[in-house]
Amino acid sequence: MTKHFTRILKKFSVFGVFLALMSVQQIYAQQTVTGKITDETNQGVPGANILKQGSNVGVTSDFDGNYSISASQGDVLVFSFVGYKTKSVTVGNNLNVNIQLEPDVASLDEVVVIGYGTAKKSDLAGAVSQVSAKSFEDQPMTRVEDALKGRASGVTVAGSGQPGSPIKVRIRGVNSITGDNNPLVVVDGVFGGDLRTINPNDIASMEILKDASALAIYGSRASNGVILVTTKKGRGGDAKISVDQFVTISSLAKSIDRLSSSQFAEAINLETPGSFTAAEIEALRANPNDWEDLTTQTGIVSNTQLSISGGDVKLNYFVSGNYIDQEGTIINTGYKRGAFRANLGAEINDKLNVNVNLYGSRDYTLNDQDAFNWNGGFLLKALTWDPTVAPQDANGDWIYRGEYANNGWNPMFELSQSVNELVSDRLNVTINASYAINDNLSYSLIASGTRNNANTESLKWARDPSLGVGSDFNSAGFRNFRQTTHQVSNVLNWKESFDKHNIDVTGVYEFQGARSTTNSYNANDVNVPGFYHTDNSASEFFANSGSESSIQSYLARVQYNFDNSFYLTGSIRVDESSKFKKGNRTGTFPSVAAAYSFNNSSFVEDSDVLSNLKFRAGWGQVGNENINAQAGITLTNDAGLYSFDGQSPVTGQTLTQIGNPDLKWETTTQLNVGLDYGFLNGKIRGAIDYYKKETEDLLLRRTVTGTLYSQFENVGRVENKGLDFSISADIINNDDFTWDATFNLSSLSNEVTELYDGLDQVQGNSQIIGGTQERTDIIKVGEPLGTFLGYTFLGTWKTSEAAAADAFGRVPGDPKFLRDSDGELVLGPIGNGLPSTTWGLNQTFTYKNFTLNVFINGASGFDVYNMTRGLLDGGTATVRNSVSLERLNAWTPTNETEIPRIGHVNLLNSTRWVEDGSYIRLNNVKLGYTFTELIRGVDRLEFYASGQNLLLITDYKGYDPEVSTRANPYSSGTTNGADVGTGLDVGSYPNPRTYTLGVKIQF
Amino acid sequence: MMKTKNIYNLFKRRYIATMVVLVTVIGVTFNSCADLEPDPLEFNLPPEVFGNFDDMDKAVTGLYGKIVNASRWTTFYAPAWAGDDITTWSAGNKADFREFDQRNVQSSNGRLLSNWNAIYDVINTANSVLDRANGLLELDVDQNLLNQYIGETHFIRGIMFYQLARVHGRIALPLSVIPDPNISRSSQLEVYEQIEADLMEAEMRLPEVYPGVERGAPRPNKGSARAILARLYMDWAGFPVKDNSKYAMAASSAKTVMDNASTHNFSLVDDLDDLWTLANKFNDESLFAIVGCNTCGDFVTANWKYGILGLPGSEGGWSETFAEIKFYEDMPEGPRKEATYRTDLDWQNFSGANDQKSPVFKKIANTDLPAGSFITARNDFFMRYAEILLIYAEASARSGNVNADAWESLNMIRRRAAGLPYATPDPSVDVTSGDLAELAFEERKWEFAGEYVRWFDLVRMERVQEALGNRDPVGPIPEHNPIIGSLGTDNYFSPVPAEAINNNPNLAN
Repeated sequence: MTKHFTRILKKFSVFGVFLALMSVQQIYAQQTVTGKITDETNQGVPGANILKQGSNVGVTSDFDGNYSISASQGDVLVFSFVGYKTKSVTVGNNLNVNIQLEPDVASLDEVVVIGYGTAKKSDLAGAVSQVSAKSFEDQPMTRVEDALKGRASGVTVAGSGQPGSPIKVRIRGVNSITGDNNPLVVVDGVFGGDLRTINPNDIASMEILKDASALAIYGSRASNGVILVTTKKGRGGDAKISVDQFVTISSLAKSIDRLSSSQFAEAINLETPGSFTAAEIEALRANPNDWEDLTTQTGIVSNTQLSISGGDVKLNYFVSGNYIDQEGTIINTGYKRGAFRANLGAEINDKLNVNVNLYGSRDYTLNDQDAFNWNGGFLLKALTWDPTVAPQDANGDWIYRGEYANNGWNPMFELSQSVNELVSDRLNVTINASYAINDNLSYSLIASGTRNNANTESLKWARDPSLGVGSDFNSAGFRNFRQTTHQVSNVLNWKESFDKHNIDVTGVYEFQGARSTTNSYNANDVNVPGFYHTDNSASEFFANSGSESSIQSYLARVQYNFDNSFYLTGSIRVDESSKFKKGNRTGTFPSVAAAYSFNNSSFVEDSDVLSNLKFRAGWGQVGNENINAQAGITLTNDAGLYSFDGQSPVTGQTLTQIGNPDLKWETTTQLNVGLDYGFLNGKIRGAIDYYKKETEDLLLRRTVTGTLYSQFENVGRVENKGLDFSISADIINNDDFTWDATFNLSSLSNEVTELYDGLDQVQGNSQIIGGTQERTDIIKVGEPLGTFLGYTFLGTWKTSEAAAADAFGRVPGDPKFLRDSDGELVLGPIGNGLPSTTWGLNQTFTYKNFTLNVFINGASGFDVYNMTRGLLDGGTATVRNSVSLERLNAWTPTNETEIPRIGHVNLLNSTRWVEDGSYIRLNNVKLGYTFTELIRGVDRLEFYASGQNLLLITDYKGYDPEVSTRANPYSSGTTNGADVGTGLDVGSYPNPRTYTLGVKIQF
Repeated sequence: MMKTKNIYNLFKRRYIATMVVLVTVIGVTFNSCADLEPDPLEFNLPPEVFGNFDDMDKAVTGLYGKIVNASRWTTFYAPAWAGDDITTWSAGNKADFREFDQRNVQSSNGRLLSNWNAIYDVINTANSVLDRANGLLELDVDQNLLNQYIGETHFIRGIMFYQLARVHGRIALPLSVIPDPNISRSSQLEVYEQIEADLMEAEMRLPEVYPGVERGAPRPNKGSARAILARLYMDWAGFPVKDNSKYAMAASSAKTVMDNASTHNFSLVDDLDDLWTLANKFNDESLFAIVGCNTCGDFVTANWKYGILGLPGSEGGWSETFAEIKFYEDMPEGPRKEATYRTDLDWQNFSGANDQKSPVFKKIANTDLPAGSFITARNDFFMRYAEILLIYAEASARSGNVNADAWESLNMIRRRAAGLPYATPDPSVDVTSGDLAELAFEERKWEFAGEYVRWFDLVRMERVQEALGNRDPVGPIPEHNPIIGSLGTDNYFSPVPAEAINNNPNLAN
């Protein structure tokens, strides 16, 4: 890959010539030195730098590697090119200086960020995946999370088609049952970044810390993995201006087949003869109502990106701006983001460097479907809506109810009239100063402050307003969330080499704090045209809350290697968190890792095939303190609203949480063994890692037995085991044509090994829609998190079984479920939503000026609870009549199929609606053409066309098996819906299919 | 050897000293920069004890919030679907109700579990209020007010134990803030004794009329507590404990309420048809009311059991609470039947694809409720004064004390049912001879139809087989949900929810 990278650079750097021509050169009346720069294969090297030592005078070689530069005798010319050893030549009498550059193996080694420092990838003893900008710049993207998908082993990403909605990123499985499993995001050394708000174009690289030896330096916040984001910096030289603009059209990738309006009317006539006349059916045939069409649209996304970078030896800058305007594929949904970044670096003197990073962003999300009263997502409501009814009558008045199918209110009315706007402003200032005390010892200070203001203003319409006050026909709400965080890190680093010993010691003292407050109010049944007219409504309700926490940490890390063969890393971090009481406050997180590289051994050095072999093993402990600041104390909350007089509400207060002074960290112990390999001089390379993570003393928010009080306790145990595999290859690499490929695969096995109080199962927190209060998920010892709970569907009761069916009150044609020996229905685990394997294959082909990127990813070994299909089949309180094509083949006395009879009672929580979710997705195809000499002054001009999600191979019958539905939470549940209740499709916002046209210009 | 020396040399180098100094300086400069002891009271009230009456007032309000949380949905009364008066839709999501209706209640029944959890939530909250109130005992505060709050809390705990005991028979009786996680179920007698103790404590501490509230006892008084004691003794005298001596106590309790009715502002309303109107939701017949409000900003304060819950699909309804057909057909015609059922609806000809041909309760789906909304402002009458009169009649007779007052109590109900002034004797409807106990029991059947009372009458008198074993269709339409479970006494009480046993296996015994 690196070699390929070099090649690409060679090709692109030719535009440096223009740069050179444009720049004002200080040329003295001197002689002109000319020559040709070649590589080890005697090919000309375009874009190599030729600098007159001790001056700013420099040129770059042209496309064929030729250069010319003014110089005097005695001047030293320095020839350099990325990936090659720098050469110096003193100008003598010969004014023709030809240079052959030698590849520099050491410099080809990628530098990776490891937290509180950097390391050469070859020096690492831990498991770290790197995603560099290069690996995702060929995919037009609006979200950083998309860059992680399929591009780093051990990382799984589950998206949502909803613009701006959270995307689930998980590193090496899931540990937490009641807390969240989001990895810690550290941006330029500062904790607590939000990937959603980051402009992907600002990112230079992302490192994913996976094993405990890499993670332990993040101590108590590392158990879900850590993503280190490094943003771009300016480089000395003339200003480089880069403009990216793309426009995307997005639409549903699939339509769900249902009965048409006339088919549905005919089907209802079979249920209840005479419901529709022949003329009505004809009218519906002529003017059908397709509610999927009515509620979806082709969304336009436009993304504009501008960056300027440059500087000189003393000062560099990278300034960027980004604006994205994204329409959803569901009507009246969308997302906008504006972001600005200024990264400034100043070398004050030889010893002192100061970097200032300034980042501001504004997010705007319109009508996030999770913010609405939940009876399934918008599309579920639309798909199951009575197709014999139009949204509006001939006068343009809304038709609020349908007599058949969905029992709710017109989803078009809700969707098109409601405005729920979330505006989130984020400002971060980070100062990073480093001072070299001497050649070996340096001190750096990172000081950072972040302010986040998130405002929600909403006016959501749900029902017929003529029902009047007291019917909940709409609700107006305001919520303001403010958070301030600060961080100060003092980092002392000492490096020394002697003989063959290399040692690197880092010590850190750090403290962080966060304070957040929320104020909100809501009002109901206000018949006004907009949010700002909702004052003085009859019913108003307000709430305030807040929390504050802080943490201070000490950390030491020693990295040692002997002769670049034997590597040893040890680290220890001590965290003290205000979330725990004195005595349990301090957590200590040790790690140790060793690696041995055979690269100095003869069997690698002498081998024509094997070029790199390194074994790694690491052990360590990390923690989780991801609970709210009040988790440890007894709480009463302002709740229990009651009205004694039937008119005015009184706010009560009840005990809600029992304190636990013994609360402490959750600990994950991880063992990792891996090997790095390379063949054919690095043309094929990669890594394999096996890990076993055991999380114990889970910070579990449990329900105190016999009550609905919650209490945080350190109980339970979850295990994650898996294999991360990656391979990259430069398959073809010649002048006109290159083909390189990277493949990542992660396999995972997750298991709950212990719960609390000796329990072997606890029901989860996701509830079926339709008021039966039955749960869809279960946490069971011996099963993975994300296990579905339900009944086992056995087809239909047949006429020949009428007597047996009657014993259970069933008739032939009714669905038949597995029962135990007592005749009770068996309720148990029936599937799992956590993929056991995820993978990605990224390939780039270049032919002359054409670039083709093809990215395929997939997941397998998981199920989806397809409640959407279940609800299409009707027979529930929410959806009464089936609009599903399946009803056409339903059981009848003369055709005894396994599809239950029309009018049966439909149990949504059964294997009937559990489907294999495995899929392969053609995630991105991009074809670009780069003009090199089209316009004078433009270094690079690329036009491209691309498509995302062009092909989805799956047996899943819904829109997309990558589902991200919020479930209906159970009233007294405590488990997290995102992982414990994963894999539920109750009207998920599907991933769209998109087509993009774009241009990238670099000056 | 060579290596050791190198390392030794290394440590002698002077910048080691520099480093030590630096670390010390940094350590001193930045130590305690993190505030590890933020003030928890900035965002939360102190939870352990009440500091003043305002705190306790809020906590008692919170307790009511828990009651409305438990009783908001029909789940609170789902076991009463077993009675011969109420049924549900034979399709849709009503499986949990059908299990009661068909006498086939599974331990996995979702309503059973929700009800169990929600009722214990009220009980546990009551225990926490009583515990936190200890903080006020030592303070110089108004003891009458303290008594009132403590009495109210005992009342609520007592009626919640009772509500749950009527479903499951033997239940666990947690009395501490955090219940014993391994608590077992108490004996039926212990359960009754605890309920009795709570209600007597309440009666002792509560005022004659709770000050500053609407009619119909939205907050309980002495009479409310005694009235529910009367109901308790009726159950105690019947299945399963069958302590016949309790009939006399039921009668005397009822008589106490009757004798003090005017003190507590209790009486019958003149027209039965007024009882289930929104306009008359605060009335003197209610002995304790759970109040609904649908305009209080948050619909958790509203009552979600009425209106469309009792209507079929074509009326925009949710088809949850219907009337049984035989019961409807058997019910004597007259003003009471008109007040009980929506006789304006031609239920036999409901024809929508999602309609069930069942009579509709007017008590549930009265015409003054908002069409199309499940959110209503209706109050629940936890107990009506009419029940006190009928308990007095029945209990007097069953305790061998048939007397004129007992006949009069029955006749007041009969007169009103016929649309006559209840206080004026009328030979056309009055009875003065026959089996008073059975006449009163029969009167209860019609008087409380659809009020989630009938099932518990059948249980205490062991009449389930008699009532449900004979449901031959009277009209043209058969019952929609046939009985599939046992009608014997072994199946009177519902099983403890499976999840509760999963969490505490001792509850299985």
